[in-house]
Amino acid sequence: MSIAILGVNHRTAPLEVRERFAHAPHEVPEALTRVLAAGASGGVLLSTCNRTEFYLSEPKEGVPEAVWGLLGARLSGHRSAEQYGYTTRDRDAVRHLYRVSAGLDSMVLGESQIQGQVRDAWETSRPQAGPVLHRLFQSALLVGARVRTETEVGVGAASVPSAAVAVASKIFGNLTGRSALILGAGDMAELAASCLVGEGARVTLVANRTYERARAIAEQLGARALTLEEAWGFFAETDIVLCSTAAPHAVVTWDRVARAIKARGGRPLCILDLAVPRDVEPAVGQLENVFLYDVDDLQAVAGQAAAQRRSEIPAAEGIVNEEVDRFWAWYGGLVVVPALREFRERLDAVRAQEIERALRRFKHLEPEDREQLDQFSRALLNKFLHAPTLALKEAAERGRGYALLGALKELFGLEGRDDS
Amino acid sequence: MLVNLHLAALALYTVSAVLALAPFAGARPVARGWTVGLAVLGAVLHAIALSQLSFAGVAPALSLLALCLVVLQVCSELLLRATTVALFTAPLAGGFVGLALLLGLAPGAEERAGRGVWFILHVSLSVLGLALLALAFIAAALYLVQFRELKAKRFGQVFQLFPPLERIDHLNHVALVAGFPALTIGVLIAIGYAIRYAGKMPDAAQLVWGSFTWVVLGWTVWVRVARHWAGRRAAFASIAGFAAVVLVYAALKLAQPGVQRFL
Repeated sequence: MSIAILGVNHRTAPLEVRERFAHAPHEVPEALTRVLAAGASGGVLLSTCNRTEFYLSEPKEGVPEAVWGLLGARLSGHRSAEQYGYTTRDRDAVRHLYRVSAGLDSMVLGESQIQGQVRDAWETSRPQAGPVLHRLFQSALLVGARVRTETEVGVGAASVPSAAVAVASKIFGNLTGRSALILGAGDMAELAASCLVGEGARVTLVANRTYERARAIAEQLGARALTLEEAWGFFAETDIVLCSTAAPHAVVTWDRVARAIKARGGRPLCILDLAVPRDVEPAVGQLENVFLYDVDDLQAVAGQAAAQRRSEIPAAEGIVNEEVDRFWAWYGGLVVVPALREFRERLDAVRAQEIERALRRFKHLEPEDREQLDQFSRALLNKFLHAPTLALKEAAERGRGYALLGALKELFGLEGRDDS
Repeated sequence: MLVNLHLAALALYTVSAVLALAPFAGARPVARGWTVGLAVLGAVLHAIALSQLSFAGVAPALSLLALCLVVLQVCSELLLRATTVALFTAPLAGGFVGLALLLGLAPGAEERAGRGVWFILHVSLSVLGLALLALAFIAAALYLVQFRELKAKRFGQVFQLFPPLERIDHLNHVALVAGFPALTIGVLIAIGYAIRYAGKMPDAAQLVWGSFTWVVLGWTVWVRVARHWAGRRAAFASIAGFAAVVLVYAALKLAQPGVQRFL
């Protein structure tokens, strides 16, 4: 028996490759069917924007070829998927999944979205997962929750979009119902806007130099489209302004904001300038009740949270290792019980064979004596097996059963169902 | 017994405040249940102690003010998650209890029997009004600190641990709006009580300070509610108002020293 992971992630493959390997939920069953056909008792496919990983139990020799072949078919230009991939086995595979679930292997350390993605992967793959992976994923979700509860690895805003939300939240508190205006059509502003919307804010206006582009984004967000020139007046009404134009100079000037700010009646205005070069004149930040933050400021917030999260890594890794030991003890026990049964049956067969041979020679013995001899042989076998059986069971409880089992198989030539 | 109950309350307030403010020293936050629970337990012991006291004199008034501050701190924590209010309320409440103990607390059944429910109501409502004015001052101070940090783009402990600006502003607003009617009724009861039982208006010092505090609190409520002041301007108004009330009290007390009477 064994557990293996074959996959790629943000450390081993560029975005362009990861995008091609990403599987939509409806593609997962077919992909797993193809891999399991190559010889594995169960499989789960975890596919996010940062990783595509096949979790497999009892994979046979042909499985890696099937996985890399399946992924390689999505690449262009005769590239091999294996060059971007990695393979992890057994204890390391369990540790890997636990680290993934806890956010320790994420691009943004400690991010919580991965927990939901692991759950979704498990749900989607459930019919093909098998009992071992079923248990493994269940425990991985618990480990992720435990790490987030007992450490501060998920505390704070560790990315620029989440830092934008954190800063706005420090001004307004609850963002539910707060109105946001997006100035420009940059990707970062869209990302930050989606984070704000996730916190309950409403994107009410989208302004861009070209009206058509503004309208395209506004339609996605259920907002109203404006040209840049129309936008300045709305600074008096909106709570949050997200700037991300491609302008080579500042388009949000002191004059424009100062005029609007008078009509706000002392309400704060949060301006998040995500553009490089900056869209907002630094002097705008001097206006009363205007809170202006650029990318550097938000990166400082994110960096601070990231540093705090990094300091929690040892504690989080400690929890992961503890849980790996626990899972491995269970898994070791799972492997040891059938192996012990086979071991005993094998030796009992030898005993039965030898006692039969002996009894053929001792024809003069009475039936009671024959019975006594048979019982003696059984008792002797039990005595011999007692110590190794106990040792193996204890080793399994301590998570070392799998290693001892290998030795047992090799020494006694066992070839049970656990050989893979 | 009185002193022991006060000391026990003081100890519980201190532990609660230390736990609540531990994150400022880099420690991991403690579950809110502990900080709130300890403060509530302290307040219960404090209330038991106060029930045995006459409300006449400086010491009982300070003790009652401390209790009101702790209760308001707990309410701020539960309703607005404004844990940092304890930065001010904890030392203030602790200081008031300590001062009350130094000035001397003694059971006062005689005075209470003589002055009755109206006197207790007058003192309780007036002190509650004062405590709410103090809470508005605390919220204003927190607002200005957080405002400065946000403007200066400093993302340290204040940024992380202080409540959001608008929430602190809301706390200031609520404290002022709730404090004004409490103080108004307290002052009216005082006047009615003086005329009914003493057959004359209250003493000049009491009248001056009571009226002044009422006017100041009334003005801060008026600028917030009628003139729609908010944010920094409202914070400055609250701080100025509270400072004026404290200064006028100190001046009047210096003119008429003694701990037997509040004024």
